[in-house]
Amino acid sequence: MNTFLRKNTVLLITLAVITALFIAAAQGMEKKDFVITLLRGLAVGSITFLVASGFSLIFGLLDVLNLAHGTLFMIGAYIGWTVFVRPDTFVDLLTPLALILSGFALADVYPFLATRIRLGLSMKRILPWALILVSVLIFSFILPRYPISIWDVENYGQSPVTYSFMADSGTRLPAPVAVFTEIAAPLALIGLVLASMIGAFGLSLFNSETQQQFKLTWKNFAAFAILLIVALLTFIFNESLTAVLTGLSSNWLFLIAVVVATLSGAGLGALIESTLIRPLYIRPIYQLMLTLGMSAIGIEIVRSVWGRPEFVMPKPAFFNGTGGVCPATNFADWWANNCSTILLLDGRVRVYNEIFIPIIGVIVLISIWMLLQRTRLGMVIRAGVQDREMVEALGINVRRVFTMVFGLGVGLAALGGILAAPSMGLSNAMGESLFLNALIALAIGGLTNYPGAALGSVLVGLIQQFIIKYGQIGIAIPFTDIIFKPTPPLVPASTVLLMVIILLILPNGLLGKKE
Amino acid sequence: MKKFLSSNRASLITLLALILLPFIVGLMDGESPMAVLANESGNAKFAQGLAIEIFILALYALSFDLIFGITGMLSFGHSMFFGVGAYLTGISLKTLGLSLPATLGLVFIAAIVQAILFGLVLPRVKGITFALVTLGMGSVFHIVVMSSELGPYTGADVGLQGVIAPAFISPANERIRFYFIALTILILVYLLYKRFVDSPTGRVCIAIRENEGRARMLGYNTFYFKLAALTLSSLTAALAGFMHTLYQPIVSPNVASMGFTVTALLIILIGGVGTLNGALVGAVVYRLLDFGLRRYIGESASFISGAVYVLFVLFIPFGIVGTWRAKSFQINQGWQRLRKLFG
Amino acid sequence: MTTEFILETQNIRKQFGGLVAVDNVSIKVRKNSLHAIIGPNGAGKTTFFNLLSGNLEPTSGKVIYKGQDITHQPVHRTIHFGIGRSFQITNIFPNLTVFENIRLASQALGSDNFKFWQASSRFKKYEERTWNVIERVGLKERAQTFARTLPHGDQRKLELGMILAPDPEVLLLDEPTAGMASEQVPELIALIQGIQKEGNKTVMLVEHNMNVVMSVSDAITVMHQGMVLAEGTPAEIAANKEVQTAYLGGLYELNV
Repeated sequence: MNTFLRKNTVLLITLAVITALFIAAAQGMEKKDFVITLLRGLAVGSITFLVASGFSLIFGLLDVLNLAHGTLFMIGAYIGWTVFVRPDTFVDLLTPLALILSGFALADVYPFLATRIRLGLSMKRILPWALILVSVLIFSFILPRYPISIWDVENYGQSPVTYSFMADSGTRLPAPVAVFTEIAAPLALIGLVLASMIGAFGLSLFNSETQQQFKLTWKNFAAFAILLIVALLTFIFNESLTAVLTGLSSNWLFLIAVVVATLSGAGLGALIESTLIRPLYIRPIYQLMLTLGMSAIGIEIVRSVWGRPEFVMPKPAFFNGTGGVCPATNFADWWANNCSTILLLDGRVRVYNEIFIPIIGVIVLISIWMLLQRTRLGMVIRAGVQDREMVEALGINVRRVFTMVFGLGVGLAALGGILAAPSMGLSNAMGESLFLNALIALAIGGLTNYPGAALGSVLVGLIQQFIIKYGQIGIAIPFTDIIFKPTPPLVPASTVLLMVIILLILPNGLLGKKE
Repeated sequence: MKKFLSSNRASLITLLALILLPFIVGLMDGESPMAVLANESGNAKFAQGLAIEIFILALYALSFDLIFGITGMLSFGHSMFFGVGAYLTGISLKTLGLSLPATLGLVFIAAIVQAILFGLVLPRVKGITFALVTLGMGSVFHIVVMSSELGPYTGADVGLQGVIAPAFISPANERIRFYFIALTILILVYLLYKRFVDSPTGRVCIAIRENEGRARMLGYNTFYFKLAALTLSSLTAALAGFMHTLYQPIVSPNVASMGFTVTALLIILIGGVGTLNGALVGAVVYRLLDFGLRRYIGESASFISGAVYVLFVLFIPFGIVGTWRAKSFQINQGWQRLRKLFG
Repeated sequence: MTTEFILETQNIRKQFGGLVAVDNVSIKVRKNSLHAIIGPNGAGKTTFFNLLSGNLEPTSGKVIYKGQDITHQPVHRTIHFGIGRSFQITNIFPNLTVFENIRLASQALGSDNFKFWQASSRFKKYEERTWNVIERVGLKERAQTFARTLPHGDQRKLELGMILAPDPEVLLLDEPTAGMASEQVPELIALIQGIQKEGNKTVMLVEHNMNVVMSVSDAITVMHQGMVLAEGTPAEIAANKEVQTAYLGGLYELNV
């Protein structure tokens, strides 16, 4: 007990100070305000935690500061929005995506192929570039002509803003069905597969230093075949699939959106790690710069695809009930009517924003904790955070673990994005502000410390929400008649200041290990 | 004298070209040198404007290269150095109504103060944590500048407008004078930096970048060297901000944002991290690229510059100047081997 | 030999969490002697050196240099007292030339470190000193090559040169021959001995090579599990029963 006290003095003092602050904060406001603010703080903390935990896993194991994490969070939100509001676009995208990926699923075959080709030295140098060029040419010919039913950023009537607005009021804007006109369908499909294979082959030639003898089995072709089948099925049943998705209740559709956003985030993360980050492990600073550049590119992509204006994402029906009996007075009542708000201590609490999100936050916190503590992957990750070389020496395929962890981290961010979308709305800047929050949370909690990420996130969320609340109701400064209203800029500034102070006292954060 | 000329041939030619630039552009456009000197509007004047922007960017990039490329401290709050200079100049000229020299003095004092502020955190935090703390400080400054309370002074999120530069260097009417003043300042700062890197102090800064622990074991109290680099860097960046405000009709709060730090990083990455020439080359390439892209592509220009940036990181990590040096060393070695073979 | 002690420790102790790495070590080093510290792996030799050079702060105890308490001095002061230290793992500036590495070491104690308005080539005294040291350690041919491209043996010499450059009175050498090919070892040892004799310097040496230790040192301290097991002249140590059991008990072999 004594040693426990001594080891955690700093933490205990911090917690005591925070508790005291909260008690002091509670004095100045009504009970209902306090509860709402507390819940809002927890909600912001949960979203922050989703971003921060992924970031900290990646940093802890890979030593990569992924500065694009906020952007990936935002991309997750936009992908989820697309599935939720425009299922037809989503279905249309499945076929070409599966085809583009199919070539890369043959990665094991290319080295085998490469050993069969005998070329002069100069040809060997040119070949990869030539292949990539051919692939890019085919892609740039087919992709713009491939029909995808999509919104129009330039045209307000067809813009994402309008689609969201209509979906929010319960009607779906009829979307034009995309058909092949400029190019024959079989030509487009086969062309995409070929271009993908050529491109992937060209890329694989760049790192073909290890000339091993390969034995090809059907397993090397399995992923390729599955992707082709998926592409074909989605192509043939395009319309009926769209009809099924549009016909679904918004709850199911939201669930699908969450799953798709999370999975595509994870896939995107794995792709980024294996192609862009991997060559740079020997130059850590350049990794930092790379992720910084990716962040800028990601924002631009989002701007050009989804447009600059902000828009809202409708909430699923489960959390969106209105009408006579709403707001619900207790949970049973809410369950029966699915009201969007519920009365807690006379305060109106929005169920999705302030109850559902914190619950998801806790679930993710626990499940990742279980993953880290109970599974083999988790053990490898924890060991790797402690001592990477040791893990490598044990003969574990660190590369694969790295890719998986990067995917996991980005997937968590994307999950955060789609969950935050209905409450925060979608904007080009949503990633940046949340990422700053997450960084601050991590710096406070300890950069590679998982519980620290949770503690820091909750602290950041609570402090911000309390300051916002006091900005509305004002805070009476003791012994004077002045009522001080913190202004909005103070919200980020306060947490940043907290971070600077904590880092100056404890350079490793509250829970970070001491050196 | 002759030796000096031959060993600095490239630099002297560049200098000459820069001095003649406005007149050459003028002649190409059918303007007489006299017309250029009289600041008649035309392509020559426009080219001067672009060049001035490049000079200011180059100053700023040099200052970032000093702390990141030379001393090895990754600061994400560098735009604050620039922003303090830019905003203080505006406030001092517009609101306080101070004279130009007094403003410059004020800017320099502020620059030293903020370098010491950054320096305060130095002994406590290193590496990534230093990057985070500076990021924090920079974003606090950005937030303060953007806050509506200070609107009368900073213009909040619109930016600082209506700063009128003294008539004798007015960028509109006396642009050629402004051009030569900016050029002179850039050359002087560049020479100072070159000397700094070559001086005992700069050498220790490089040693700190390479292996700080060893530098301490050699007996250097590295804190003071880092502080020196920070101070010089802060002074330069503030000077760049000072000129920015004099030249631009509006100081956007973007110059205090994280994005502007990234710009500095991008410039020295294009040019070559840790090479002073690289900062200059990078500034030219960056500004021209940005200008061209914005003109022909429009809004999505930053997508292209982001892609250029990523490609540089992946394929040309030592930048233009760094790669050039590495190659020229190889070429040189090849020459010498050949000469040995025949001599 | 004079009987004056130049460096001593008093009950110095270092604890990492629950692990006691150095346990109440008190030793005295005579001026102008070559004092070796030996012991099996994990005996706390390097930690002990880190305490002497200020890289680590002791949990308790004192380090006395020429009668002055230097226990809590920061690491960059150490060399100013006249104590230079080399590392077991080569610790140099890899991307600078050999010349620049040593010039940085020569310049450190001068008063010109902040003259940023003058080119470093103007300070002839440091350059002269640098050339002397480079010649002394035998790297003249390689003065302008980058340190990272040197073969390992030359990197060890460079490291020695970096300690020599500020001309300290005490040299703490942590396994100067670590990782060197065995035929290069005598050359380096002769160099160290030469430096010690000529310059009237005190050398403290951590070394694994027993033949070397026995032949060159004036005094030997044997460490074992953080404590001093024995102290004395090479002859005394060789005869010491306890040392023999510690080494022959499977921990280390005497005739490496």
